[in-house]
Amino acid sequence: MKRIVAAILAILIFIVLALAFVKIPFGNINLSDYHYYNPITDKQTSDSVPQHYLVDGKKDTGSTNIVTAVVVDYRGFDTLGEVTVLFLAATGVGSIMYIFEKEKRRKVRRANAVVETASQLLFGFIVLFGAYIFVHGHLTPGGGFPGGAVIASAFLLLYLAYPRFHAEHKTLNVAESLAGLTFVIAGLLGLLISGSFLYNFLPFGVPTYLFSAGIIPVIYVAVGVKVGSELTGIVDAMMGVRE
Amino acid sequence: MDLFTLVSLILIIAMLIAAVVAAELKDLLSAAVALGVVSLIVSILFYILQAPDVAITEASIGAGLSMAVLIFAIKHTERWEK
Amino acid sequence: MSIAILILQILGYIFIGIGSFFLLLASIGLLRMPDVYNRMQTATKATTLGALSVLFGVGLLDLAWMPMSIVIALFILLTAPVGASALARASYKHGIKLWKESVVDKYKEEKEEE
Repeated sequence: MKRIVAAILAILIFIVLALAFVKIPFGNINLSDYHYYNPITDKQTSDSVPQHYLVDGKKDTGSTNIVTAVVVDYRGFDTLGEVTVLFLAATGVGSIMYIFEKEKRRKVRRANAVVETASQLLFGFIVLFGAYIFVHGHLTPGGGFPGGAVIASAFLLLYLAYPRFHAEHKTLNVAESLAGLTFVIAGLLGLLISGSFLYNFLPFGVPTYLFSAGIIPVIYVAVGVKVGSELTGIVDAMMGVRE
Repeated sequence: MDLFTLVSLILIIAMLIAAVVAAELKDLLSAAVALGVVSLIVSILFYILQAPDVAITEASIGAGLSMAVLIFAIKHTERWEK
Repeated sequence: MSIAILILQILGYIFIGIGSFFLLLASIGLLRMPDVYNRMQTATKATTLGALSVLFGVGLLDLAWMPMSIVIALFILLTAPVGASALARASYKHGIKLWKESVVDKYKEEKEEE
């Protein structure tokens, strides 16, 4: 019975997706005469949103990576929502695991000496790589979310190598709050200066340089720190041992 | 059929096999590993389809962190599905 | 000048071929080896050699990629043995028996000495 329901649900979802995707063109499009289907006005048009992003993205935002331009600049408010959702998830995991934590004590064994030494060697490099990913979010592929996840995986390595290790909760909370505050303050400053939330008010500089694209690097560093501390908090709630 | 289509097809078939294995296995630990394989292949597919941003995110979250969380959850509940 | 580049290209493709051969051997070994510890050995030793060779070959194809591939090779050299040792130790502690024709069991010897 369960399987039949699951199969029917899968088929229904497939039909809905197929109906949604049937009018969207895939594949190569000749840039000289492009015809995009605009679902809002229900007609073929040359003045489409993706085309605008691709053509004017660098001029509008100063960011070389168009994905970053869309995520942080054009759709910056959505990113704030995403970060909030992640924060709520981390809080939920923390509170659920707190209840479990009271019930039983775990006994802890020391890990392999090889793993301990190697994790000491690698931890710095992994954190450095994560920081590189989110600092260069507007230049190379990557950004705040993968950078934060890489940093959290560095902490995961420490949790696996040292079963007694646990990150300082106060530090995590302070880092996360400061990062969120930076994001909102950058948005509010934009509101103050030009009248729209998250307006890119800093000078763009020269594209492809590190200090370019206005507030995009600032926001991506904030997102990276926030995601990193939230995911580290989730890892800590699941693996940390408190005595 | 060019190389691009061939590689994509092989990857998609491998991904489907891994997904079915993950759904059918009674050993939840192996199912979690199969899920990690699905994530890894999805990230390679994203990279082939020229979305390196999503590929990095999928590789680090799907194949890294969520695997760890799943294995931890299995360790503290039960390994075999009834 | 162009002859040097041609030689580098040929060398690069030879290295990539050697690396792919060792990766193939590693995957055959994963299927053929009798127990966990032997499989682990193929999955790390042969794979490390294969990956390093492929990386070196890619570095030779375009010398601008050489620093990057050397860094990646260093990280593979750092992480692969660590992962293998952790896996082997965990499966030994979990009580997985060695293959019946294995001859060395250092863990057991150490335990008997203590």
